[in-house]
Amino acid sequence: MSDEPGAFPGVPVLSDAPPEKDRILNEFSRLIGDRALFGAEVNPEILKKSEGGAKFLLREPPSPSKLLALWGALFGNRISPLRLLELLGPTIHGFEHREPLLLFARDRLIYDTRIAHGGEHIGEMTLAFRTEFERGEGLLGLFRGRTLKIVYIENISLREQSSGYASALFRYYEELFGRLGYHQFRLKASLSVGKYYWAKEGFDCLDGSGVAQMKTRLLALIRSKGLPVREWEIDRLNHTYDVALFRKDLKIPVYRNREGYYALERDAEHPEEFFLPVGKAFLLASDPWDGYKVIYTDTPRRTGFIYSDRYLDHRTRQGHVETPKRLETLMKAVDRDGLRSSLVFLKPYSADPEILAKVHDAAYLESFRRVAASGADFFETRDCSISTESYEVALLAAGGVMAGVDAVMNRRVENVFCAVRPPGHHATRNSAMGFCFINNVAVGAAYARAAYGVERIFILDWDVHHGNGTQDLFEEDPLTYFCSFHEHPTFCFPGTGRRMERGKGAGQGTTLNLPLRPHAGDAELAELFDREVVPEIDRFRPDLILISAGFDGHGDDPIADIELSERSYEHMTHGICEAADRHCGGRVVSVLEGGYHRPAFASSAIAHLRALQGRS
Amino acid sequence: MFVGIRMTKKVITAAPEDTLKRAADLLAENRVHRLPVVRDGKLVGIVSDSDIRNAAVRSSPPGEGAAGAKTVGEIMTREVITVTPWDTVEDALLVLQKKRLGALPVVEGNQVVGIITKADVLAALIETLDIEGIGSRIEVLLPRDAASVRKLIGLIAEKGIEVRSLVLAPHQDRFVAFLRLVTIDAPAVKATLRDAGFTVAELEDFLD
Repeated sequence: MSDEPGAFPGVPVLSDAPPEKDRILNEFSRLIGDRALFGAEVNPEILKKSEGGAKFLLREPPSPSKLLALWGALFGNRISPLRLLELLGPTIHGFEHREPLLLFARDRLIYDTRIAHGGEHIGEMTLAFRTEFERGEGLLGLFRGRTLKIVYIENISLREQSSGYASALFRYYEELFGRLGYHQFRLKASLSVGKYYWAKEGFDCLDGSGVAQMKTRLLALIRSKGLPVREWEIDRLNHTYDVALFRKDLKIPVYRNREGYYALERDAEHPEEFFLPVGKAFLLASDPWDGYKVIYTDTPRRTGFIYSDRYLDHRTRQGHVETPKRLETLMKAVDRDGLRSSLVFLKPYSADPEILAKVHDAAYLESFRRVAASGADFFETRDCSISTESYEVALLAAGGVMAGVDAVMNRRVENVFCAVRPPGHHATRNSAMGFCFINNVAVGAAYARAAYGVERIFILDWDVHHGNGTQDLFEEDPLTYFCSFHEHPTFCFPGTGRRMERGKGAGQGTTLNLPLRPHAGDAELAELFDREVVPEIDRFRPDLILISAGFDGHGDDPIADIELSERSYEHMTHGICEAADRHCGGRVVSVLEGGYHRPAFASSAIAHLRALQGRS
Repeated sequence: MFVGIRMTKKVITAAPEDTLKRAADLLAENRVHRLPVVRDGKLVGIVSDSDIRNAAVRSSPPGEGAAGAKTVGEIMTREVITVTPWDTVEDALLVLQKKRLGALPVVEGNQVVGIITKADVLAALIETLDIEGIGSRIEVLLPRDAASVRKLIGLIAEKGIEVRSLVLAPHQDRFVAFLRLVTIDAPAVKATLRDAGFTVAELEDFLD
């Protein structure tokens, strides 16, 4: 295991050969002999007040059969007791675990250790492992009906702060317990310093209403301080994680007491003034919360999935191919494929006017809003069939991509698929066409720039139609590379996207069109992708990759004449993820565009999702 | 459509006494291939880049100076084929094609008022066919009568689809209609037309 400063210790691959029952029992006896294994009476109150004092009421270890039963429930046959103790106490940055104990209580196993640095005792840590039957709603409802294996972080106290140890250890544990088949970390963040740290690590309120309460209090704080923060910015926060990183540009005064706790008002107790970013200040000064973090057991890449049933409320006329049934089919396929438990489901929000204005004219948006609300059959052109709620749904589609950008930029997920409709890549600054109204992928790019300062953005559009709207919006922008595969413009809508279109002005050279001749298939596409697209990404060195992912180039799709199979989408996704790993920490935001043969669309999108997760 | 509308009005011209070096520089600077030669505003000849190149090749001894010192007047073509602004683009198209020329000076009386090139005529064609406009192209074969044309347009009108351009051309004993339609769902239009008895060209028909 590495011990360089800042290095992330590797978790060894667990052996495939499961330890035998006799060996486990043997190791139990050795630990009992070494006085490293006890029975324990757990009293949470004792645990919380553990600093320095006795933590547990110790007793004799339970019988071998009880030991074995609990071990089996918690670790199956994946690991033996000695090996677990060894893996739980890695030396990181010179910090090591001393005198570790395993304590068996009726329903849980406890790991308790002292932490030493440079030979000196500087802290302690207590973890508890147990299983629970999940019956929650919301995000936790994903595991409904399953037994969850949970690591409780009961206590961690370190007298040396800011060493980076806790964060390195936590990341190591996340990987370790992922491999051990665990589902969640839980903790009660009561220490003010710990609270901010854990929130940043992606811990969320255990109670779903916790985030809502936090948002209400944050809104009140912002109003009382008269801060220049818009309500939609707060609405956008879905997780304590997002709160922790909220408006880093905006600092407000907070006041600290001698114990290191913060308050928002100065008083006799809290005399010392600090300026902290609003999200951090708010968390440090607010109540403790019970937090959880999902561990992705069998998912090498954490892939987000943005979806809302509201996307079905953009209703096109009878017989129109861009129908809500597309997404219904996709969601059924996601269920059938068992992807629900491995994807991180995230909710979209509505795109706000400030960001939309970077992509579309206000007059155009207003005209769209008015025409949709009037109950008209279509907007601007008959292809663009609408219903009364189409405008609101289109804002939610664009905001879905923004939520996807949030998720990858905040490292909540590595990459994300936005299952949105209506699609967007034909929409220009001031016109709707080809089933598109608001250019979702362009809104995502504009938002990544405005909110996160992302500089270089590469957009790959593999919808079978040329992404003329996206090209129009970015052809003069040297920092946004637009690359599109599509059926040759002579044979297919929209009739643009010829090889000669390579960008304009300062953007000369950052547009690449790769028209495919009719009937082209996987071989032609793979050849072009490997020979032209991948080297172009490597030359451009993007900070974020966006995909306009249409699946209408599939051989079964009647709308065009290209004959791709699922393999093409898989191949391109792997290539994009690898390029993203080389250049931008794996950050990929994929946005649904077309795909009209529903079974082919669903199987292609599933192949894309599995490839985003790093599976084949 | 008249030549006056499509022609390039800013004409780069040479004088007969200009040296070939000067003429070559004018061609290169302005990225054109030929210069009408004008004296007192009157057209007296035309000189092309290949005329100048040929003069350079034929001049002896070879080398700079010799050819460069010759004048435009010595090598220009004096019999210039011209059109007027009120000739039509079709006239220009036919002259350019049949005389195998690259450009025609446009004159009004004695004065040069413009030049119309192959590129100008191609631009007119691109606009007429609306090749760069957003839409889907389909090709339909139909009986060579106005009633069939009316039926074809009627079906498209019924579907509420905007027509960007329509070119109707004779094709053996039938018409072929080249339509550019503002819809992404060309397959749906093709299906409607086929159901009504029209022949819609398949991709295979374009490929070879």
